[in-house]
Order: sequence, then structure tokens, then C-alpha cells
Amino acid sequence: MKTAQDIKVNNVILIDGAPWIVQRAEYTKSGRNSAIMKMKLKNLLSGSTSETVYKFDDKMEQVILDQIDVTYSYKADDMYVFVDEEYNQYELSAEDIESVMPYIVDGMTDVCSAVFFEGKVISVDLPTTIVRQIDYTEASARGDTSGKVMKPARLANGTNVKVADFCEIGDWIEIDTRTGDYKSRAKAPA
Amino acid sequence: MKSWDIFCQVVDNYGDIGVTWRLARQIATELHQPVRLFVDDLHTFHHICPQIDPQRNCQRLLGVDITHWHPDSTIDPSDIVIEAFGCNLSESIISSMLARAQPPIWINLEYLSAEPWIEECHLLPSPQRHGPAKYFFFPGFTARTGGLLRERDLLAERDRFIIEEKAEFLTNLGVEPAPGSSLISLFTYENPQISSWLDTLVAGEASIQLLVPPGRIQADIEHWLGEDKLVLGACYSRGSVVIHPIPFLSQRDYDRLLWSCDLNFVRGEDSFVRAQWAGKPFLWHIYEQDDEAHLQKLSAFLQLYRQQLDAASAKAMTQFWIDWNRRQDLSEGWTLFTRQRDSLESHAHVWCSKLSMQKSLVESLAEFTQN
Repeated sequence: MKTAQDIKVNNVILIDGAPWIVQRAEYTKSGRNSAIMKMKLKNLLSGSTSETVYKFDDKMEQVILDQIDVTYSYKADDMYVFVDEEYNQYELSAEDIESVMPYIVDGMTDVCSAVFFEGKVISVDLPTTIVRQIDYTEASARGDTSGKVMKPARLANGTNVKVADFCEIGDWIEIDTRTGDYKSRAKAPA
Repeated sequence: MKSWDIFCQVVDNYGDIGVTWRLARQIATELHQPVRLFVDDLHTFHHICPQIDPQRNCQRLLGVDITHWHPDSTIDPSDIVIEAFGCNLSESIISSMLARAQPPIWINLEYLSAEPWIEECHLLPSPQRHGPAKYFFFPGFTARTGGLLRERDLLAERDRFIIEEKAEFLTNLGVEPAPGSSLISLFTYENPQISSWLDTLVAGEASIQLLVPPGRIQADIEHWLGEDKLVLGACYSRGSVVIHPIPFLSQRDYDRLLWSCDLNFVRGEDSFVRAQWAGKPFLWHIYEQDDEAHLQKLSAFLQLYRQQLDAASAKAMTQFWIDWNRRQDLSEGWTLFTRQRDSLESHAHVWCSKLSMQKSLVESLAEFTQN
């Protein structure tokens, strides 16, 4: 058993039998108020999120969920199919993988983590950094090369991201999947 | 009709029981709903409410059922359970809550603060491992908080008292206001620098009468006076300053003291709020924390309070409050503060009126729990 102040971002806690992942955790202490932890939680089963607050010494049940490496294979009907090294297939709905949906593209080779709860796959995590190709963006308006001026761009699956002004159609870019932010221009995957 | 349980653990002083007792009374008298107050220290309770018998485990007063709360008490919970100031409920009480067909609404009533983060956390759920969910309820000074404890007829009662009963009340305390004299009530924590303030008062021309109930500042005053012990009913004169030791007062009479004085020095949480309802200038001696977190809380209140105060008054008030709370020399701060007394007085009145337009803490609680 841990206390609320020991719980960090990406830890998973059990509440009333359901696993919730901590998406944000902020510690606050002032005056005579007992220290509190403000947390944003996401229910890994339902996908619902909740802003919550805890006393710093509230007891919490942390769970370590099983994870295995998988890669995206194909989409069948409304299900997204991932396979592991032994070619076992795992089907997930768009709702199950809502947070990574913007980065799912055919032919992607990223090694993802399939997350299990009580023997059932409940979600998939992408690597922190992924590489994607720009499908469309306007030509540079200002000729900026610093990388500080940003402009909109669209990936092959329709996801919009802000990229550096010097990026062009067909360029490969690195994206931080935690924030959705453009990181840099990248080489094409091998 | 909903029923309420309020749990209070007396940590120190009178703030915890002071706030929960007021809250319980208001639920009983204004919402007309059954309320039980569980308190772990009836002796402290007796100090602020002499009708409480510390020897009796269960008693009823002003519509509130009061129970001496032991850690191993087994309780069949009411519809609404309030744990005041993060006092932890036992596993047995939580199990009883879970066993109810309709689990209670479980509220953690927090300490008062003016810090902006209070608004973000007010009424947020705190889902527990095995339920039911608890909610954090933050009292505060803005519409996005839980508000302040304020009896429905408090301000009308205050205004009526000042006209009809103030003189008699002071006489009963053994205080005869001298013409042109300022009355100041003093109920703060220890502060050795009070000597610099008292020296400044004595050196000034203004006539001051200082009304001092028993409390933690008393030893510092005795030291300054060179007296072994302040004697109740006696008057200690030094220059234009007269110090009146007065008895420890019930909550009702303490309100009346605040209403009778021109300036109030208050401490903690309960008397801090009551001073604001008095509509008079005041100084807040905040509860001190080892890591100085209290200064952040003090600063947050000052920032809010002085928003509509003119620059000179805001500066004077801030300096005097900070000097007092940092236990620094008070002579310069006091001189600046007294220069702005008119402006501070008028602002205190405006501030009180503004706060009274907001929902009271009991109204906010009722709205949250009854809908």
C-alpha cells in the first residue's frame, strides 16, 4: 500500500476494483491545510477521466500491470489488431486506444506496449517518441530556419500537428506522444 | 430530510471545535435537519461553550446531539458525513458507511484559505479504494469556494447590538470607554515584539483601551507590564494606554467584543472570520507553520483583501500584518497603519458587505448535498 504523495504520473491505482492511470499529479501544501495531491486519473477500462484530490497520506493501492511488446498489424471491422513476437493477436476498439489513435497509421513499425488487467488487454501505449511523415503542409511563409516559428501540418491519417516552419510535405518528423508536440525533423524509418 | 454527522478532532487551541460547533448549530437552526457532533475533546469544547459538560458522553444542546468521540467508537452514519480538517475516520466508521444501502455523502471540510488553488480543488471528488467517494469542500472568500460560516441574521444582530446593548456589554466586562478612546481587542498567539507596539502606543497621544481575554499573548503583556499575572477586572495604565484583562468569552460574547471594538487583533481561523463579520479593521495573527507555509496563505488573503483598497492603506496594512506575523519591530508599521485608520475602517465595512452577498458555508453545503 502506498500513500497519495508516493504516487507518480503513469502509476496505476485500483479504485473500487478498477485500474486508473495517473495522468497528472500535483502536490500542494499551505498554512494549516493538510498537504493535498491533486490528480487527473483515467479509468483504463472505461476511458473516462476525472479530476480528483487526495490527502497526502491517503492510502492507495498501486497495481503493476502486465505489459508485452506488440506492433500494429491491421484494422478489421472496427477493431485494431496488434500482434506480439509469437504472432498472438490482440484486438482493441478505438475507444480502448483513444489516446494513441491520432498516431495509428497503416504500416507503422513502432514497438508498442499492450497493457493487461486481469488477463485481458485493455490498452496500448506508444513509445514516447515516434516518427511520422507529413502528408500536407503549406510552404514556408517566412523562410524561418530557427524552428521557433510553427505552422499547421497534417499526417497521413489526418491528424493535425504544429511543425517547424521549415518542414515540407514528405518530411519525416519526431513527435512526443505524451504531449502531441513536434520535436524535430527526422530521417525516414529504415 | 437529510441527517448530518460532523467529526472533529481538536488538534490544539479552539479553532477546530469553534468552527464545527458553529457549523453544527447552523445546520440545526437554519436547515432544521438532525445533526450530531462527534468531538474527541470535550474539555476544550467546554471552554468556548460553558454549557457543555465534559463528563457526559452524550448531550444535546441547541438542537445538536453531541457525543464524546473515541477512536474505537462504532457509529451508524447519517446521510451526510463531514470529517473536519482532515481528521481521519476509523476503518469501522468507513465500513459502516459502506454497509448502508445508500452510502452517505462524505465530505472533507478543509481549512480556510484565500489561495487561488482552493477554487480548483473545491468539490473535487476523492475516490476511495473501496468507496464511497469523498468530496473536498474548501471554505473561502470567492463565489467559486464553499464560502464562510455566517449565521443568517448575524449582521442584523450585530447592528442591533451596537445600538442597544454595546454599552451595557462593556460595562459588564468592567470596561468604561473613555471619551475619544479607541477600544482594541487582543486575542493572538505569542509575540515578544508586542513590547515595541505597546511602547509606541504609550509614546503616542491617542488614548487606547486594550481588552485582553486569556490567551497565549498574555505572558508577553505581563512581561511588558512587569506584572507576575494579569488580574481579571484590574486596569493597568501606562501613559495613555489602559490594559483591561477580561474573562474568556463564549462564541456569542466574543462576537460582541469584536463588534464593540474599533480594531481587533485575531488569530487562527474562527476569530479571523468573525473579525471580518464585525466590519472593523483587524489584524490576523495566522497559525504558524515550521516551514513558513503560513506566510504564503497570509499573503494570499492580503492580496484579495486589499484589491479595492487605496495604495497607501494597502501598503500600511500589509506592513503591519507582515511585521506582526514575522515578529519584527512594530513601531513603524503601527504608525503607518494608524494613519490609514479611516480608510481601513471604511474598507472593512465594504469587504464585510461584499462577503455577505455570497452564499454562506452552510448554504453551499446544503446546495451540494441536497441536490
